[in-house]
Amino acid sequence: MSERYLLGTMLVPIFTLKLNHKINPRMVTIGKFDGVHPCLTAATQAGKVFIHNPHARGQRPVAHRLSQSTQDSDISLLNINQAVTCLTAGKLGSDTTGDTLLVGSQTNLLAYDVHDNTDIFYREVTDGANAIVLGKLGDIASPLAIIGGNCALQGFDYEGNDHFWTVTGDNVRSLVLCDFTGDGKNELLVGSEDFDIRVFKEDELVSEMTENETVTSLCHMHGSRFGYALANGTVGVYDRTARYWRIKSKNHAMSIHAFDLNADGVVELITGWSNGKIDARSDRTGEVIFKDNLSSSVAGVVEGDYRLDGQKQLICTSIEGEVRGYLPASKDLKGNLMDSSAEQDLIRELSQRRQNLLLELRNYEENAKGVSETNSGMGVIPANTQLQTALSVRPATEAQKAHVELSISTPNETIIRAVLIFAEGIFEGESHVVHPSAQNLSGCVRVPIVPPKDIPVDLHIKAFVGGKTSTQFHVFEITRQLPRFSMYDINFDSSAAPPTGRVTFNINDRPQRVVMWLNQNFLLPEGVESPDVTFNSLRGGGLLSISMASNGQITLRTDDIDLAGDLVQSLASFLAIEDLSAEADFPGYFEELRTTLTEVDEFHSVHQKLTAAMADHSNYIRNMLVQAEDARLMGDMTTMKKRYRELYDLNRDLINEYKIRSNNHNALLACLKSVNQAIQRAGRLRVGKPKNQVISACRDAIKSNNVNSLFRIMKAGTASS
Amino acid sequence: MELHLNRVDYIQVGVTSQKTMKLLPALGKKATQKVAIADHDGILTCFGMKKGEAVPVFKTLPGQKIARMDLGGAVGTPQEKIFVCSGSQVRGFTKKGKQFLTFEANLTETINAMHVSGADLFVCASYIYNHYCDCKDQDYYLSGDKINDIMCLSSENLTRLVPVLACQDRVLRVLQGSELAYEIEVPGPPSVLELFNKDGGNDFFTGEEILYGTTDGKIGLVQIGERSAATKWEIDNDKKKGGILCIDTYDIIGDGVNDILVGRDDGTVEVYGFDSSSEPTLRFDHILSESVTSIQGGCVGKESYDEVLTATYTGWVTGLTTEPQKAEAGPGDEVRMSKETQSKVEALRAELEQLQVKVLQGREQYQQTSQSSTAVSAVPVFSINDKFTLCQDDASYSLTLEVQTAIDNLLLQSDVPIDLLDVDKNSAVVSFSECDSEQPNGNFLLATYRCQANTTRLELKVRSIEGQYGTLQAYITPRLQPKTCQVRQYQIKPLSLHQRTHSIDQDRPMNRLSLVGQFSFAEIHSWVVFCLPEVPEKTPAGESITFYFHNTFLGTQLEANYCKGEGHFRSDNISTISILSDVLSKEATKRKINLNISYDINDDSVSHTLKMIHPKLEYQLLLARKVQLIDALKELQVHEGNADFLIPEYRNILDESANLLEEYKKQPAHLERLYGMITDLFIDKFKFKGQNVKTKVSSLLEILDNYELNSLLDFFNEA
Repeated sequence: MSERYLLGTMLVPIFTLKLNHKINPRMVTIGKFDGVHPCLTAATQAGKVFIHNPHARGQRPVAHRLSQSTQDSDISLLNINQAVTCLTAGKLGSDTTGDTLLVGSQTNLLAYDVHDNTDIFYREVTDGANAIVLGKLGDIASPLAIIGGNCALQGFDYEGNDHFWTVTGDNVRSLVLCDFTGDGKNELLVGSEDFDIRVFKEDELVSEMTENETVTSLCHMHGSRFGYALANGTVGVYDRTARYWRIKSKNHAMSIHAFDLNADGVVELITGWSNGKIDARSDRTGEVIFKDNLSSSVAGVVEGDYRLDGQKQLICTSIEGEVRGYLPASKDLKGNLMDSSAEQDLIRELSQRRQNLLLELRNYEENAKGVSETNSGMGVIPANTQLQTALSVRPATEAQKAHVELSISTPNETIIRAVLIFAEGIFEGESHVVHPSAQNLSGCVRVPIVPPKDIPVDLHIKAFVGGKTSTQFHVFEITRQLPRFSMYDINFDSSAAPPTGRVTFNINDRPQRVVMWLNQNFLLPEGVESPDVTFNSLRGGGLLSISMASNGQITLRTDDIDLAGDLVQSLASFLAIEDLSAEADFPGYFEELRTTLTEVDEFHSVHQKLTAAMADHSNYIRNMLVQAEDARLMGDMTTMKKRYRELYDLNRDLINEYKIRSNNHNALLACLKSVNQAIQRAGRLRVGKPKNQVISACRDAIKSNNVNSLFRIMKAGTASS
Repeated sequence: MELHLNRVDYIQVGVTSQKTMKLLPALGKKATQKVAIADHDGILTCFGMKKGEAVPVFKTLPGQKIARMDLGGAVGTPQEKIFVCSGSQVRGFTKKGKQFLTFEANLTETINAMHVSGADLFVCASYIYNHYCDCKDQDYYLSGDKINDIMCLSSENLTRLVPVLACQDRVLRVLQGSELAYEIEVPGPPSVLELFNKDGGNDFFTGEEILYGTTDGKIGLVQIGERSAATKWEIDNDKKKGGILCIDTYDIIGDGVNDILVGRDDGTVEVYGFDSSSEPTLRFDHILSESVTSIQGGCVGKESYDEVLTATYTGWVTGLTTEPQKAEAGPGDEVRMSKETQSKVEALRAELEQLQVKVLQGREQYQQTSQSSTAVSAVPVFSINDKFTLCQDDASYSLTLEVQTAIDNLLLQSDVPIDLLDVDKNSAVVSFSECDSEQPNGNFLLATYRCQANTTRLELKVRSIEGQYGTLQAYITPRLQPKTCQVRQYQIKPLSLHQRTHSIDQDRPMNRLSLVGQFSFAEIHSWVVFCLPEVPEKTPAGESITFYFHNTFLGTQLEANYCKGEGHFRSDNISTISILSDVLSKEATKRKINLNISYDINDDSVSHTLKMIHPKLEYQLLLARKVQLIDALKELQVHEGNADFLIPEYRNILDESANLLEEYKKQPAHLERLYGMITDLFIDKFKFKGQNVKTKVSSLLEILDNYELNSLLDFFNEA
């Protein structure tokens, strides 16, 4: 990245604070809790939230949850007594003077009035709260605090009523509200652990963008443009469904924020990195216009008028409690901040380009001159060498598991020294290397590829071609696309049991179009001519058969409900179908789900029993402690020792019980997640309106605990039949 | 006094070697000086700056790569004749560019160091030193290890010219005629020599002073006498900056005392000044993005403004000038580039356009040849500046790669288990690829580095395990069409963590391995070269040789003494002996040489080694325990509001937490490495007794988990 127009020396932090408290990553916000003074608020260790209020020094009530920090008089601590997982602040009530603080944990959501020191509401959220966003969504009248948990999204108003609930594909990691469609109303953008960014218009899923890692942060830039960050160090900007740019770093992006730092009227994407670096990048190009370094990993980047002078500052915080505020560049500079060292850099860049061109030219000249045959290290190859690549499906053998084989070969006596494949989402890292030993060099390399998911992937292949003793090689760069459904073999075992699961729907299109879709999305060396085909799933999912009747009815048979969903979605988008209802039956999967639902009930009752037991214990502890202390005051050391020994035992029991409780809770969470996923899966068998109907109907069925109705909906698409 | 220097780029030539740029003497006082620079294309360029533009004085035709440059002239006249060496030839040019000398040194090897003084010419090829006077052979010397640089002291105080050689085996060799007068031990392999003060020292009575820089980044000043030398001062490399490539002395601060200008291979430029004491202190540093190959103090850009002039590996000539930077653009104004810059930019853009056209033609022609069945594609070899060195501090190898144009990606492949460590400076995205070491391909490491734009230099760190040996290969692909990649190989030797040293402690309990057999001196030398780093490839002169080494990780030592038919290796570390014995017998078997191997094992040596490890291990364990507590203690502190209730030990941990964490981060996997070496020691001790104790390793690890020196010693004795 060229850093030519760095603000560099011009921008220095206007304030730096050392708060003697650690800050949990991504849990930083600014709230005006009294309606006037912005306070930096962040989650810290030991299940606490601190509120930094340097504006109103002096006495503040200390009661309820709030307590004054002994280390810093400007800081009040809020005791949550649970590990905080997310927090935000903003206007939730319509007639409140100040902002409401919202704090989420794995089990609860707290809405808190910092100014009046009271709870506004405290709700149990079984799906946890991994991310939170506050604002207006679609046509819903009141502002909502929307939390994203394990596959679920839930929105609460000021009274604590949930006005919004839907499910999504995987655990939610990031949320943002923005007018994605440009209709003047906010949509909800959801980034989750299945690498997808989903856009919800209220509870209707309108768009889906697939990335290649967990989406850890989202932020609204302007209009329909938003920034995103992934767990692998990627940050970038989307405008609607189109990605503008992205960059990848070896560090992790901890927090992203939109702020107009160079005062040119357009916000930049500010990223805080795990190595403490902060950079501001142009929203159009990703070019760095400013950077600075904190001494430890960035925890969060926010903005606020912290000096109360009417100007917003960009405020960066580190996990060690360092805070820095930056003012935007002065208006005079108009974003044109080229100083004389930038001139130097421009000249340097131009010279570098000239040097590169000269080198390239020299390459051609020397090549044209020809070479002496003696220099074998140079890796001379025939000029007409071209690489051939081929993709094919390979079923499992005894020696190797099933895979897609990429074979790369040279047409002549040259050898391939090594092959590098850069591709997203199918290897552990971003690349895969094949490097045969010196004895095994040949002109052909076969690379087994096992894509873990059904996604289309571009394989960027770099092959080093030369002679056996070369020290320099020609690099051939080729890009091949791996189709979405590449792990399905057309040569199936006819003796295998036919799948019991199926989904059926009708389309108004010619069979030829379906054939086209098949040929584009499956790895079919010879192609197919009829839409009736059967594949063997190489990931061990049994058979997959697709058939189309003359009336346009398509039946997909597979036991893998996810695959069925992927196929429906892929086919519908290929044929540009907006609404598609379907009937489905997946006996195996539904049976599993039924078991899960019973388990949920069991876990719930265990949970209640354990909670009651815990309450008993705490009473007991209180008594015991009083007795022990009494004994101490009376000088009765034997009894005191005895009591304390009992307390110790009790403590051990409590710890054990706690372990049981947390195991139970985790198991419950896993079950709830799979229930939420089931709803999502049932939805994915349909498209458009029928899809949303299925999801909301399923949700109602779960709310009313009507299991039979749930399955009916999943099968038929509606509750009434 | 604070020193502010501003960067100005002048021109770019081809890739440059170490010490190939000089400033010609100024004609008048305060006038600007001309710059002479020579590159790998064989071109010698001489230019001066006029109104911010580089105006060439002359430029020679391309030829063989130029390795060194020096200035000379008759004694007592300005030193303005330019001498360059390429291959085994030395050429001389006047300041106008007229060639007045072509001298064929008749060496079989290429000259890599040169010094000119009056009518005397001194040249060095890898091991050979030659002195010519008026192009006539005078003296000759064969050095024990590679010669990196040469400098001659000449002044009224010395009766003769005194040549000093900087040799790879950590010594400066002072010659007298064709004979070695004496050796000076220095703390690292010296890479560059320079006279301290241009007239060769100002201390009239005590002799002459010479500055040296080492490949591991240390600088020192020694005073050369007729029979012996004295070290005046040394600057350590605590901050782990790059190796020294060039030094100059010049009064850039302007306090009347010459300062030391230093250029390093990681792009650092430094200025050391002198306070009232005669110890140097760092006054200024600046980071250029690539190796600084030459450095000079003088006046180039503008009259009466002194500057530090540098040349870098890719051929950039850059000044760090005392001239203040122009005022920045005024408020509300459009960007104002100076006229000079503007015209420079325009000229460059015009040139770029022309080049673009030419390149397009070239590309087309190249494409056309791919239709032909007889044509071949042969892309010229691009130059790579690489360095693979053992860092003493953390006992790991650092690999630096530098290419004249931006690197696109790097593939690292190793057939021996090694760990790749993260380097903060390095911004490239690394990705580890799965590799089945079981398969016939035998890969233990396959990693790709995808570089950010404009990365011309990459730095990596690799950790090896002694006893596991093989080759690390780096495939470098620059962003240059037609795309090619080049492979470089680096040997991971069996005793990879050993480093050469000048002497060893003879009082330690030692184990001995002796070999007797029908092998020549050259053969056993080649085996030692195979086993140990930093041994010269050339078979030493004489009948026998002794080398000393120390283990950079554990501090144990090794003495290797061998001659024709006989070899003796002594070490206080039994594992070192075990590895040597395995590898040497394997090598001998390969050549079908029958070896008679005998051991002299000293059981005390094991306890001795364990006691040497003890402080390191204890420190690491304590550190790990403290670091583990930090988070919990901090939480308690927040919970209770303060830390007053904690015992002093814990409070201390809280106070020191930042330092502790930093220290801990600096030494990743240090404990595991120590455990591994103790385990090896255990297995090796009993191997020499003919016992296999691999089954007892788990009990050893248990003892290590609850480490206590005595119980460990007991376990070693009892098992």
